Amino acid sequence: MRRTLTSQERVVIEPVHLADFFTVFFSAASVILFGALYALLFAWSRVRGRPRLMPMAYAAYLGLAASVIVLGNAANLFNSHYWTFIVLLMLVGYLVAPHAIWHLCVGTHVGEDEAVKVSQQR
Amino acid sequence: MAALGTLSSANLNGGQKLAVKFFTVAIALFGAQVLFGMLAGIQYLKPDFLFGILDFSVNRMLHINAMVVWLLFGFIGAVYWILEDESGTPVVGLGLGNLMFWVFTLAVVVVVLVYLLVQTGPGELKSIWLINEGREYIEAPRWADIGIVVCVLIFFYNVAATFMKGRFTGIAGVLVFDLVALAGLYLAGMWYTPNISMDQHWWWWVIHLWVEATWEVLVGCLLAYGLVKTMGVRRKIVETWLYIEVALLFGSGILGLGHHYFWIGTPEYWLSIGGFFSALEPIPLVAMVVHAVFDAGHHKMKSANHPALAWMIAQAFGNFFGAGVWGFMHTLPQINLYTHGTQWTASHGHLAFFGAYSTIVIAFVYLAVQKWRGDVWMSGNMAGAWKWKWALFLLHAGMIGMTMALLITGYEQSQIERAIGGSTWTAYFEAQAHVWFVQGMNWRMISGWAFTAGFVLLAWDLMTIGKRETRPAQLPAAEAAAA
Amino acid sequence: MSQTQTQTQTLWWASESFWKKMAIWITAGSVVVLIFLTFDTVKQITAGGKRVPAYSVINQRIDYVFDDKRNHQVPVIGPEEPLFGKKLSEEEAMALVSKGKLTTQAKNCMNCHTLLGNGAYYAPDLTKSWLDPNWGTKETREQKMVDFLMNPEEMLHNSIGRRMTNLGITEEEARATVAFLKWMSSIDTNGFPYNFKPIDQSDPAPAAAPAASADAAAAPVQQ
Repeated sequence: MRRTLTSQERVVIEPVHLADFFTVFFSAASVILFGALYALLFAWSRVRGRPRLMPMAYAAYLGLAASVIVLGNAANLFNSHYWTFIVLLMLVGYLVAPHAIWHLCVGTHVGEDEAVKVSQQR
Repeated sequence: MAALGTLSSANLNGGQKLAVKFFTVAIALFGAQVLFGMLAGIQYLKPDFLFGILDFSVNRMLHINAMVVWLLFGFIGAVYWILEDESGTPVVGLGLGNLMFWVFTLAVVVVVLVYLLVQTGPGELKSIWLINEGREYIEAPRWADIGIVVCVLIFFYNVAATFMKGRFTGIAGVLVFDLVALAGLYLAGMWYTPNISMDQHWWWWVIHLWVEATWEVLVGCLLAYGLVKTMGVRRKIVETWLYIEVALLFGSGILGLGHHYFWIGTPEYWLSIGGFFSALEPIPLVAMVVHAVFDAGHHKMKSANHPALAWMIAQAFGNFFGAGVWGFMHTLPQINLYTHGTQWTASHGHLAFFGAYSTIVIAFVYLAVQKWRGDVWMSGNMAGAWKWKWALFLLHAGMIGMTMALLITGYEQSQIERAIGGSTWTAYFEAQAHVWFVQGMNWRMISGWAFTAGFVLLAWDLMTIGKRETRPAQLPAAEAAAA
Repeated sequence: MSQTQTQTQTLWWASESFWKKMAIWITAGSVVVLIFLTFDTVKQITAGGKRVPAYSVINQRIDYVFDDKRNHQVPVIGPEEPLFGKKLSEEEAMALVSKGKLTTQAKNCMNCHTLLGNGAYYAPDLTKSWLDPNWGTKETREQKMVDFLMNPEEMLHNSIGRRMTNLGITEEEARATVAFLKWMSSIDTNGFPYNFKPIDQSDPAPAAAPAASADAAAAPVQQ
């Protein structure tokens, strides 16, 4: 049922086109895998005090962002305001989440001897 | 005290004596799950196999019911395992707990026998009361439903009253609250309606809110206890993180119910709500990754029980891939329209249940076996360590193989049957006859044999590990410090 | 060390008590929203509404037609076409559909088939089975479905040898099951299953053909 919607039309979702199936599955999996890689490298860089790992962490985030955009395109998310908002939410949320969780880790472990060292290193 | 290396209940406290009973039945039911899964798998390839004797529907029902019950038994066992230690007092109603164990086990046996021997009934209410409710995962007849609720309430009483009498810790608080939700939600699946939309609407309350909310939090409590006891993490930190986890899991999980309300007659706004919370769902996983790395950097990963530690690490990965990657691949409604009700769901379900729940129960059973034999050595240089390592490998290789094979069949099915064929009868069988599908099912079967071999090895290992071992376990300093 | 102690107190956003409250508030908030939505959803999916029609809909033709506005197929209730030629009151229809639903539960249909996409994947989805072109013509459909349900193991299913077993379904149960399936096909499922090609239900006389015919449904399908 391939039909391009005009901009006036408001539908809740526009189903994925057959040709984009693989792209959707692959990019969705990439979103999660890059997200984990980003979180992993980010945390690793901080916990071991290796700033050189940080660019790699952000490279992983770029991979995540690219995957989100590809997914958004393939799943027709940019055709509606609501789903575009979800895409933006993912982009911002996944960028910020590891930072926030890291701060929580440091904050909650304050008082533990090793954790103090980490917070001082930073 | 019995000699090291021999199974002796003298090594266990009251709650733990009860726990090992639950674990024993759990592993037996795990075996039943594997057996009936294999029979159902063979029927995909050889449709005449046991046709009219043990049909696919019966095997499949036993396969998924055995799973729900063995995980429940495993969870109940794990809670009894930690109960006296965590509360600092003996279980209040141990006799009642024992009675509940026997009643529950007997009920399971009766239900299984009825499934096998009676199978189906006439289209009347009495069939639903006595034989089989015919609703996926909660097929147990109504009399058994009532029995389950009574058993869970007795279990709840035991847990809550024991904690009230002893220490009511943060972990205890979350656990008690979670058990109330667990018992209460089951009631949502216990009534009949001719309206299939209404039926499935409430049915998801049980299935989703159990599996994707209350079970997750229950596992969180068990892991929190494990962190305090075995890794020496300070209780205050662990409990803070348990609350964070509850906030993240319930915050994304409760309304995540929406992703099951896309196509069952429920209103259109669920498409938006389900999509929104699907996008949020990876956040707890990201939190887990960051926190795990943080902890690994600060605590020496020393464990006196290598198999249990390995299964806990497997849990982290399994949860991440099963729930995270496999879930997100087909959760947006734009694609779920084609994948809903295909082998995609089977692929996701296999990996997610195994990764998130089977692993943690197996880890607890290893912990139990160690103590049961008098805290024997279960670290490096263990006699016969190949058994647990090969069991771990075969179960994972088998599960990953099955999941990948089902992924390929699901992909083919979503295209051929759903997108092109439009889900008609003809389109369905066209997709089932497709070479990708048939080959996928063959590979699933081969992987299933690997999984079966892994299970046999696991069962053998659990019965023999630590036998005749004379070295005592090197307990982490934390245990002494915490006590 | 004393410095860290003061720090512990200042980090309110990382404190145990803060997250305990957060956990409670987030859980409670989610539950309240869910309950609010549940009230509305239950109202909308109660039989007799727009999304889930009354059981007496089995007295009418049910079709599955592409809707331009919603960009997917939707169930369309057509002219009177009573099931088995007998028009039923709302109570009679409900009793019949209920009998059918009970049969699908007692016979464990859901562990081979999917209904509304939920169940097992060993046999076709039943959401729109009433409209499946496999039943041939709309005149023979009802009886064919009943015959199939009563003696499925003898019928030709497919090329791969997979068959439905004989579940001892009586004629009464079979007719009720057909009523349940016809009623289920009238539920608005937001376009699931997608791209479905329904059985031709148009009337033989061209003049009487309403707009909502099978041809109209198939027209926008261009893969």
